[in-house]
Amino acid sequence: MSFAYLAALLVSLAGMIVWDVRERLFFARDAVRAAVVLAAGVAFFLLWDIAGILTGIFLHAPSRFATGWMLGPHMPVEEPVFLIFLCYLTMNLVLFLERVLRGGLRAGRRGSGDDPAGEGRR
Amino acid sequence: MTYLELMPAFLALALVPVALLAGTPREAPRRRWAAMGLALAVLIVLTVIFDSLMIAAGFFSYGDGSLTGITLWLAPVEDLAYVLAAVVLLPVLWWALGHRGHVSRCLRTWLATSRPISWVNTAYPFATAYWLLTHSVDAILIVGSLFFLIPYNLMMYGINDVFDYESDLRNPRKGGVEGALADRSEHRGILAAAVLLPLPFVLFLWAAGSPASGIVLAVSLFAVLAYSVKGLRFKEIPFLDSATSATHFVSPMVFAFAVAGAQWTATLTAVTAAFFLWGMASQAFGAVQDIRADRAGGLASIGTVLGARRTVLASAILYVVAGLSLLPAQWPVPVAALFVLPYLANLVPFLTIRDDDCERANTGWKRFLWINYLVGFAVTMLMIRSLLPA
Repeated sequence: MSFAYLAALLVSLAGMIVWDVRERLFFARDAVRAAVVLAAGVAFFLLWDIAGILTGIFLHAPSRFATGWMLGPHMPVEEPVFLIFLCYLTMNLVLFLERVLRGGLRAGRRGSGDDPAGEGRR
Repeated sequence: MTYLELMPAFLALALVPVALLAGTPREAPRRRWAAMGLALAVLIVLTVIFDSLMIAAGFFSYGDGSLTGITLWLAPVEDLAYVLAAVVLLPVLWWALGHRGHVSRCLRTWLATSRPISWVNTAYPFATAYWLLTHSVDAILIVGSLFFLIPYNLMMYGINDVFDYESDLRNPRKGGVEGALADRSEHRGILAAAVLLPLPFVLFLWAAGSPASGIVLAVSLFAVLAYSVKGLRFKEIPFLDSATSATHFVSPMVFAFAVAGAQWTATLTAVTAAFFLWGMASQAFGAVQDIRADRAGGLASIGTVLGARRTVLASAILYVVAGLSLLPAQWPVPVAALFVLPYLANLVPFLTIRDDDCERANTGWKRFLWINYLVGFAVTMLMIRSLLPA
C-alpha cells in the first residue's frame, strides 16, 4: 500500500486549481456554474464506471502504488479523484484554448487587475 | 457485453446537453469547435501516455474478451472514448449554463412536453412484464423503465407537438394536462431533445438485447415517428391512426417479452391482443372530441370518417373484443376481462353524441385518464394475487 498515485492525483488537481485561478478560466470565472458542470461530469463518468464494472469490463487490481482503499467492488478511492481531475483538466483546456483562439490572453486578464501574479507574464 | 457495445450509449449520453444549445445565440461556433478539437488532441496524447503507465503499473485490467485488442502503446483504443465524451459533455454544458435561466426553461419545456401524467402508461407495462418474466432487477429493467418513463414519452409527444403545431393552434384543449402547446421558437430544442435524450437508452437496450428485441424496439420507434412526422402522418390516416397509437402503448410490453427471452404462449398472445384492442378503442374515443377541430383544420381521423356516434360505438365494440380476447389466457388473467367494464360505462353517456357537440366527449376523456389509474391498480392487485401461493 502506498499513497503515490493518490498524491500524484492531488498534486495534479492542485495544478489545475492554480491554472484556473491564474487565468480565470473555470471556477475562478463562475463558481456555481463550474460546480454544476464538474458535478455532472463526475456523475456521468461514475455511472460509466459502474456500468463497466457491472458488465465485467473494468477490473481493479491491487497495486503497490495505490492505497488499496475501496469504495465498492473494483472502485478504488482514487477513481473519483481521477475523474474530478479529468473533468477539471478538460474544462481548463477548452476554456483556455477558446480564449487563446480569440487572441484574448491579454483581454481575458483585463478585468483582473487585482491579480498581480498575472501581470507582465505575457 | 463488450466495451465497444457499452460505449455508444455513453457517448450518446454525453451528447444530450447539445439539445440545450438549441435556441441560444450561436457564439463563434468555429472557435468553439476548434477549442474542443485541440483539447481533444491534447487529452488523447495524455491518455495514451498515462493510461499506458497505469496499466503497466497494474492499477487495472479489463475483462477477458471485452476489448477489441487494438491498443495505442498499452492503452486500449476504447479508453479514448472517455476523453471524447468529456470534451463534448462538459464544455457544452458550460456554454448552455452561460445563458441565464435558459437551462431551467428548457427542462421545464421538456417536462411539460413529455406529459408526466402519461409516463407510467408506458413504463409500467414494460417494468411489470419484464419483472414477472425474469424476477430480476438488472440493468435492462432499470434502463428500460427509465427509457419508457420519460425519454420515450418526450420523443412521442415532442415530435407530435412540433408537427401538430398548425392544427393544435386551432384547438383550445391543448396546453393543459392533455397536451402542451409548444411555441414555435422552442421547436428546434424540443426536436433536439426528443432525439438526443432517447438515443443513449435506445443504444443500450439495442446492445443488451437480442435480434428479436431489436426488431420490436425498431417497430416501436418507427410507430412513434410515423404517427406524426411530416410525410408519414399516420395519425391522419383513419384506422391506421388507432393502430399506431395502440402500438405506442403495447410495444413497451412486447419489448419486455422479447428482451426477457420469453416463450410466446397463448397467455402472452391474449394479453398482447387485449392491450392492443384497448389501445385502439381508447385512441378512437379520444379522437371524438376533436372531430370538429380536425374537420376545420382539414385533418382526417377515425372520428372524422365514422362520425362521432359511430366512433363511440366502434370504441365500445373494441373494448368488448379486448375483454373477450383475455378469456383463453391462463388463470387468473381472464378475470381482467372485467376491467373493460369501467371503460364501457364511461362511453355510455356518449352513445347519443352528435358531430356538432363532439366536444362533449372531453368530459369522458378526462374520466378515461383517471380510469387508467384505477384499472392499473386493479391489474397490479391481480398480478400480486397471482404471484402468491394458492
